[in-house]
Amino acid sequence: MRLEKAKLVFRKDWMEIKRNWQVILPITILPLVISVVLPVVLTLIPSLVPASQTQVNGFDTLIQNLPSNVQEQLAGMTDVQSMVYVMALYFLAPFFLIIPLMASSVIASDSFAGEKERKTIEGLLATPISDSELFFGKMLVSFVPSMLVTILSFAVYTILFDVLSFSIFNGMLLLPNLDWILMIFGLAPTVALASIGLTVIISSKVKGFREAQQISVILLLPILALVFGQAAGAVIFGATMIAVLTAVFAVIDFAVFRIGVTTFKREEILAQLA
Amino acid sequence: MTVIEVEDLTKRFGAFVAVDRLSFGIEEGEVFGLLGPNGAGKTTTIRMLAGLILPSRGWAKVKGYAVGSNSLKVREIVGILTENPSLYERLTAMENMDFFAEAYGLSDKQKKQERISELLEFFGLWERRNDKVATFSKGMKQKLAIARALVHEPPVLFLDEPTAGLDPESSKEVRDLIAKLSFHENRTVLLCTHHLEDAEKLCNKVMIINRGKNVIVGTPTELRDKISGTPTVEISLKKLTFAVVEAAKSVSHVKQVDADTANSKLTIVLDDPQKGTPEVVEKVVEAGGRIFAVRLVRPSLEEAYLKLIKEEQR
Repeated sequence: MRLEKAKLVFRKDWMEIKRNWQVILPITILPLVISVVLPVVLTLIPSLVPASQTQVNGFDTLIQNLPSNVQEQLAGMTDVQSMVYVMALYFLAPFFLIIPLMASSVIASDSFAGEKERKTIEGLLATPISDSELFFGKMLVSFVPSMLVTILSFAVYTILFDVLSFSIFNGMLLLPNLDWILMIFGLAPTVALASIGLTVIISSKVKGFREAQQISVILLLPILALVFGQAAGAVIFGATMIAVLTAVFAVIDFAVFRIGVTTFKREEILAQLA
Repeated sequence: MTVIEVEDLTKRFGAFVAVDRLSFGIEEGEVFGLLGPNGAGKTTTIRMLAGLILPSRGWAKVKGYAVGSNSLKVREIVGILTENPSLYERLTAMENMDFFAEAYGLSDKQKKQERISELLEFFGLWERRNDKVATFSKGMKQKLAIARALVHEPPVLFLDEPTAGLDPESSKEVRDLIAKLSFHENRTVLLCTHHLEDAEKLCNKVMIINRGKNVIVGTPTELRDKISGTPTVEISLKKLTFAVVEAAKSVSHVKQVDADTANSKLTIVLDDPQKGTPEVVEKVVEAGGRIFAVRLVRPSLEEAYLKLIKEEQR
């Protein structure tokens, strides 16, 4: 595979995407809003709990369900501090796995299906760019912006949370920590690549963008299960678990790429043109 | 040297046979026309030869590279104008050209820019190079798509309806360009068209296909002769008299004489126009006929084509 050809496909698609506000707006605004709203809401919790109240109703049960290592981290904290700590560092973490999926979904769904709809695909398929270069280029153009948005959202979330929670934790800065760094720079990219790969495969098989996007929404379900699992305290992402999941997803990424290239058929794509 | 070799080429889509056992060869520098009505299999044939789809049966080679096993190499040496212009409308003309130039392997920045400038200037698009393709007229898009096909100076060109959507002036420019590419630059061109005028003016050889099958192949002249028989002789006179008509009929090679008195014109069918025409002219003059012009009239390729397609569809 010639990487420069994949990069060429990436550059061409990126030039098109950055001129399309219908794509740019949803992939940037929503993640950034989440990364601003979440820390603001979190740090508002202390002001919602009366100063005299040191116990938060039902919170004890939630804490008891957490793994012992997390409970140890909470030793010496008030309930309000514990609540903000657990939510900011653990419960909201999986939202940052959803951001790259949301951001990449529109672009990955459009990758081949959009070219079919706009009748530009035949010219592209006629070039001496191999299947793997084409497939990888299409993956890159979904991956790079979605990860940029994710990292930017993470930066905004971290800075805002640290600034706003400065007084709650008596000047202690909680983010970024090792778990979050592993998640943003390890797990999020590998999860995103798997989802992008599958969406690009779907996009090459269906006739239009809408169809591709509707099918690709199904890919969000396992990640949503993780989000709700962690929010309910059923699954907690510790550094080891994140590292293991990253390795597992790296293998899945490779498999998805191989399947994508093997099942990529120029003929099938052309047959779908009106 | 045979640049394109096609043997028993067949393409099936399920039960539908789009291309049915086509065999032909195209020599270097030749313009080969593929003619046929809509749905005849022209585009499918081009797609197979360009390495975009695989044949169901038979084989094809382009400059010795087998379609299928060496499709990537085939795509490198071929310039293709697809049925749709296949241009990126959110990109400018320059950006489109730049992308395709690099995709076809033009990595030297200076050479690439020179080639793109040359083509955009030739097609009159230089002033609009920084405008998005979405703002272009249909004709401008077609010109840009042709420029894209030529950007890597391919030795083999597949042009699917190159003059579609162009005004007469631009059509002529494109025809002149194809002639130049073939005659002066020795490039091999496979031209898919239902513009008979293009085929007649440009093609060394023409193949008419219908329902995926080869109906007839030959030079445009051979095709006309095969389909519509020998040419007729048309004589325009100052005045058409009974004596003149009788004189023409008296010639041994003459099979039929049609007299158009309103236009003072004789249309004569001869066994052998080469031999018979001088004798006819001599007899007409002897009978007092004053001749303005003598023309050998062949049926146009269009007439021949329409006749053939009609017969095929019966």
